[in-house]
Amino acid sequence: MFFELLRRFLDRGFGSELNPLNHLGALTIYFFWIVTISGIWLFLFFKTSVSGAYESVEYLTHEQWYLGGVMRSLHRYASDAAIITLALHMIREFVYDRYRGNRWFSWVTGIPLLWMVFPLGITGYWLVWDQLAWYVALTSAELLDWFPVFSDSMARNFLSLDALSNRFFTLMAFVHLIGLPLFLVFGIWLHVLRINGPRINPPRVLMAGSLAAMTVLSFSWPALSQGEVDMAQVPQSLGLDWYYLLVYPLMKTWSPAWVWGLLFGVSLLLFAAPWLPPQRSKSAAAVDLDNCNGCSRCADDCPFGAITMMERSDGKAYEKEAVVDPSLCMSCAMCVGSCPTATPFRRHSALSPGIDMPDLSAATLRETILKVSRKLTGNCRILVFGCEGHDKTAKLKSGLNDNETATVDIICVAQLPPSFIDFVLSRDLAEGVVLAGCAGGECLYRFGEQWTGLRIERQRDPRLRKRVDADRIALAWQEPWSGLSDTTTVVAALRNSLPAGDIAEQGADEKISLPPARENAWKLPLTIAAYTLFMVIVGWLSVWPRYQLIEQNQAMVSLSFSHAGHHIRECRKLTQEELNKLPPNMRKADDCPRERLPVRIAFSSDGNTLYEASRPPTGLWNDGESNVYHRMVIPAGKQKLFIGMIDSRREEGFDYSLEQEVDFLPGQHVVVEFDSIQQSFIFKVE
Amino acid sequence: MTLIKWQPSFSLGIPSVDHEHRELIGAINTVYDSMVSNVNPEIIESCLEDIYADVSSHFALEERHMRDAGYEEYEAHKEQHEDLLDQIRSMMDLFEEDPESGRIILQQELSDWFSIHFATFDARLHHKLGDHH
Repeated sequence: MFFELLRRFLDRGFGSELNPLNHLGALTIYFFWIVTISGIWLFLFFKTSVSGAYESVEYLTHEQWYLGGVMRSLHRYASDAAIITLALHMIREFVYDRYRGNRWFSWVTGIPLLWMVFPLGITGYWLVWDQLAWYVALTSAELLDWFPVFSDSMARNFLSLDALSNRFFTLMAFVHLIGLPLFLVFGIWLHVLRINGPRINPPRVLMAGSLAAMTVLSFSWPALSQGEVDMAQVPQSLGLDWYYLLVYPLMKTWSPAWVWGLLFGVSLLLFAAPWLPPQRSKSAAAVDLDNCNGCSRCADDCPFGAITMMERSDGKAYEKEAVVDPSLCMSCAMCVGSCPTATPFRRHSALSPGIDMPDLSAATLRETILKVSRKLTGNCRILVFGCEGHDKTAKLKSGLNDNETATVDIICVAQLPPSFIDFVLSRDLAEGVVLAGCAGGECLYRFGEQWTGLRIERQRDPRLRKRVDADRIALAWQEPWSGLSDTTTVVAALRNSLPAGDIAEQGADEKISLPPARENAWKLPLTIAAYTLFMVIVGWLSVWPRYQLIEQNQAMVSLSFSHAGHHIRECRKLTQEELNKLPPNMRKADDCPRERLPVRIAFSSDGNTLYEASRPPTGLWNDGESNVYHRMVIPAGKQKLFIGMIDSRREEGFDYSLEQEVDFLPGQHVVVEFDSIQQSFIFKVE
Repeated sequence: MTLIKWQPSFSLGIPSVDHEHRELIGAINTVYDSMVSNVNPEIIESCLEDIYADVSSHFALEERHMRDAGYEEYEAHKEQHEDLLDQIRSMMDLFEEDPESGRIILQQELSDWFSIHFATFDARLHHKLGDHH
């Protein structure tokens, strides 16, 4: 359980409240802001032209290293960090099973965000226009060329500088600076739309800490360009940003179709995930209008925005009523805990709160409390209310129950209205109450610990009555999978602190205090260690391990041209008779077919065939040119290259061909082109 | 016999709150009547329990309106509510333990709870929420 180990490590350093794992989504958004702000600075100095792009970034990095360079590094490292938090965010919600049922919306709207974030990063690397950018451009274009959308091959633009226009940079800059960010902001809005009180901003300490860490990283290990683009010379290896370009090396061995298949396949799987294994469906909270006066406390406490206050519908003298949207309700029951009418002090009238859970009603809860407490003996009886989260109560039951301790299952600790605690203690059902729930951000329903804590501390409605002795209540916030030990400790500690057999009321104004936190001398070192680890991981994977594009003694050849094949048959003169049948305005003397033949290519080196293909004509009517684009790695050294092409129905030989000896230097890049005016091949050696 | 009588000055101009005030006065009068007429203490107790639930939700609604109206003395008023609920709870416990002395104390305190509540805090809230006659 790698994730759990990471969580514990971070818990030690930051504490549960500030654990970055509880703020992953917010951190991602925060990193996005850093990227935006540093990006604006970069844009001020960036020149959107073939020659200007690289130079202007170099200027920023070296001449203005103290500001522009730092901004550039922050721009990169914050976007890398965003991928880390994004990935962890997804894993966490998945591991905690917080993506199914009515949460499908947030899960599913998160997936398009991925499809925006990655192109955003990729176009960013593109704009720098260094050797990495060239590789990114070429590979991206090869990927995109797989879609039969562009009639011409896009990758061909990146094989020679003459083919590349400044316009292309303007387009890229538009996509990177305006297009994708705009969609992303909209996407984030949609992503958190259904969540009540989403945490958009992480705690300030984390903001400051992570920014400081990335600034240190930017100064000590600035982001650098990797050499000016030289299309005649292929870099042997490149420092690849693995966060964004993870799938790119696959293109070396996989065809674009497989890469797309992988990407679409994973996305589809993610899309389908909320519905894959059928989930036990719980019934939504139900409003009882006879007991609802429209005070809207439940709407305030609902973590999922499932309750809205609507116009009164039953003609009573109230303005509003609570309405539950079952498609948003996660059945967490926190609304029951907030309802002022959910008091167990009802001897004759039925205990039916204004809002209740059909699966575990307040009345049932009272029955259970009465039933289990009756079995308790001794003068230090403790009732433990444990939430269902992470299957903890199952463990609680077997481990805690004895003749002085009894456990009661509730959906979430925040389901328990504070008046129930008053009830248990004042009606002498037990001497102490323990609320065992999931710590902070581990809560399946987000606010379980928060609401419970505040209600007990009398800071949030409904408040625990002041007359209730707070010393008799202990809160046990457990981490998932942490076993029983924490709750057992809390129960034992509470039992020790209880004055045996003394049920007298005491001055009860003291604030509830949790069992003293373990003195943690490791806190600071661990925090520093966590930030250092963060820096190292961010910095390291953004350039290391280097990607070996070609081996030391290899070179590269690209075939890149387009040529129209012959028409499928010759033009034919129409006879007078045929012409007469046609409407007068359509009487053309020749009948020429539009469709063309495919163009066949053979490429070999020293007699070994390296590429052989029949390229179909483009165009809806198969009337366009055939595109030939193929990139291959070959051994360096002297070799006889041969290219031949057939654009007719010919069975033997070639219509056009060229044989030439070329001496490849290691890393040299030769482009095979077809000069359409001269109607001949060229081995372009720059 | 009636302990508290509804007065127009009690009105806050919020139909729901006024409605609940009227109902609560009715409930209190019922408790008072049953005490005077010496009925079974258990019945009085269960009436008290119902009053506790009703007052709890009534205060929740009233606080809502106060917050919505930006009532500047919200905190003080809220405290008064919390204290009153504590008093009702104590009275319930007292009745549970010793119905006879509970009866005596309740008789003395019952009208105070609500008339003081109406006379002090709600009157100010009334002004805050404006003229509505």
